[in-house]
Amino acid sequence: MLFKDQILFVLQHMKKNKLRVTMTVLATMIGCSFLIVLASVGFGIQETMRNEILNQEQITQIELWGNETLTEEDKKFIEEIEHVNVVLKKESINSTIHSKLEGREGDSNGTFIDISAQKKLPSNLSEGRLPETTNEIVVGFHYAQSLLNETDKAEIERKSKAAQEEGGYYDGADEGYKGEILNKKVELQFFDETAEQYGEPISFTIVGILKEPTYDWYIDSSIVFHDELRNAYPALITSPTTLIYVDSLEHVMPVLDELKEKKYQVYSQVEQLEELDLFFLIFKLGLLFIGTIAILIASIGIFNTMTMAVTERTREIGVLKAIGASPNLIQRLFLMESTFIGLLGTILAIGVSYIISFLANAILPHIVSYALSDENIMNHDITFSMIPLSLVIIAGSISILVAIFSGWRPARKATKIQVIHALRQEL
Amino acid sequence: MIKVDSLKHTFTIGKKDKENRIEVLKGINFNIQSKEIVAIVGKSGSGKSTLLQIIAGFMKPESGSILINNTEIAHFSEKESAAFRMNHFGFIFQNFQLLPGQTVFENIELPLKLKGIGHQVRQKKVQEILKKVGLVEVEDHYPNELSGGQQQRVAIARAMITNPPIILADEPTGSLDSQTEQEILLLIQQLNKNEEITFVIITHDEEVASIANRKLRMSDGFLVGGTQYAF
Repeated sequence: MLFKDQILFVLQHMKKNKLRVTMTVLATMIGCSFLIVLASVGFGIQETMRNEILNQEQITQIELWGNETLTEEDKKFIEEIEHVNVVLKKESINSTIHSKLEGREGDSNGTFIDISAQKKLPSNLSEGRLPETTNEIVVGFHYAQSLLNETDKAEIERKSKAAQEEGGYYDGADEGYKGEILNKKVELQFFDETAEQYGEPISFTIVGILKEPTYDWYIDSSIVFHDELRNAYPALITSPTTLIYVDSLEHVMPVLDELKEKKYQVYSQVEQLEELDLFFLIFKLGLLFIGTIAILIASIGIFNTMTMAVTERTREIGVLKAIGASPNLIQRLFLMESTFIGLLGTILAIGVSYIISFLANAILPHIVSYALSDENIMNHDITFSMIPLSLVIIAGSISILVAIFSGWRPARKATKIQVIHALRQEL
Repeated sequence: MIKVDSLKHTFTIGKKDKENRIEVLKGINFNIQSKEIVAIVGKSGSGKSTLLQIIAGFMKPESGSILINNTEIAHFSEKESAAFRMNHFGFIFQNFQLLPGQTVFENIELPLKLKGIGHQVRQKKVQEILKKVGLVEVEDHYPNELSGGQQQRVAIARAMITNPPIILADEPTGSLDSQTEQEILLLIQQLNKNEEITFVIITHDEEVASIANRKLRMSDGFLVGGTQYAF
């Protein structure tokens, strides 16, 4: 029998049992949609978290840990690794630094940075330039906000109390130094590990302001010093770190592996990304498993429909066999019917799933925002549901395979029908 | 053309521990020549239908041999039997065995479809045969819209659409009134003469058997009379 005739033959039969076939297709569609939508939540959350990580500027950055400062020999070795652009040495000062400016005071964290290496990197400044001498500094985006006088302190305390009573908190954004801070001279005092004053207060010129931090909640009032200033304060306790900048995201892992091989203690957010991917792989497999149960339930419908079809068409099968249809052909015709049911249900399910996914992404942020009384959720790029092509292929394959498998036994049953018994059946 | 030798068949009925064996065919021998009309006659339970079903390959005999055009078919697999039937046999059944959901045209073209013949050739062949059996005007009708005689004509058309050398007919007029019976018997005779098709007719009706060139009479699993050619 020509393939085209086989298809027409099967479609003719499906048309004859329109209602039953439609209900089975609907059951398959619901099962398959459930699978896709359920798994799409996993894909959506993963995508949101991946974007969160990828949007961070430090994605091509590798952190090198160690108790001691990186030696020049180590630095040279790392710089020679392929795809490494910059090796930036940093020393975070363990104690706070006290600032005074026009009758205002504030405490900040400080870091010595290898300025020559920093210059090779894309600018991290919102205004100004990097320090060129040891008495120049760059300050964090919120540095001015951290410089308070007594009036500001009292006002912040008052506003914080009021905010606490309403169940929130106040970040002090309205107070602090309001004038232009760039090129201002500020007096800084270092402290040692016992919180005793270390050295005399020194005047520094603010030559640059760092960019606003990626996270809204992070208040950056830090101070960045020229690395040559470190020699003037040998007794300062610092935590050295080295940041290695790789030319692109895809080269982070090879560089990381090479460094690990050389026993360097290294960390990159790309590793976090891999761990995230592994976690979500398991999570998505779990969701697929649960979703597959829905398809299995739908498969009972297909099995019933096909068994009914075989029973109803016993005499017809007998006639077909009598006039020369091979058992293989009979089996194929029934398998094609269950496959068509599965295929139709799956195609509809894909369409329905995309609609549900679209609606979920459009409506859920409003619901969550309303439920949590947090309007900020609306500003975040949160994907609640995402249906990539791979999910469509996986879910579609599961659905169609289950449909074929459901039709298998009835189809086998059809091939076993004896011509003589079939022809004796009444209409 | 058809050579049956020492054909035996036994049915086993009842539950496994209380099986009852009924010998239906007890060593049948006969020979049918090409272009013959042979009637196998006998009372109900004589084994004539079982004999036809075994020749058709619907069931396997217990022992014996069936040669069709020198091909031994008695021990064919189900698949081989199906392929052999498609190319060598046409069937006419007592209750027509037409597919109710298909039109006259579709019922007749079904064997051609199974053979994998294309649409255009099918159209041509079905139109030709519809003319031969006088059903041109009802080609789009469904079987339940036809009289018994017309339905049997459709069955005959379906049986001969693939030009098989042999048509096996099981009580072909059993469901028809006497006038229609005569029409069908006349059609069979014409097809035998014009198309040179060999007919093997199973019947208990002597009038039907009267159109045959030869009669093979069966009783209690044996051939008890009729003209048998020597092997």
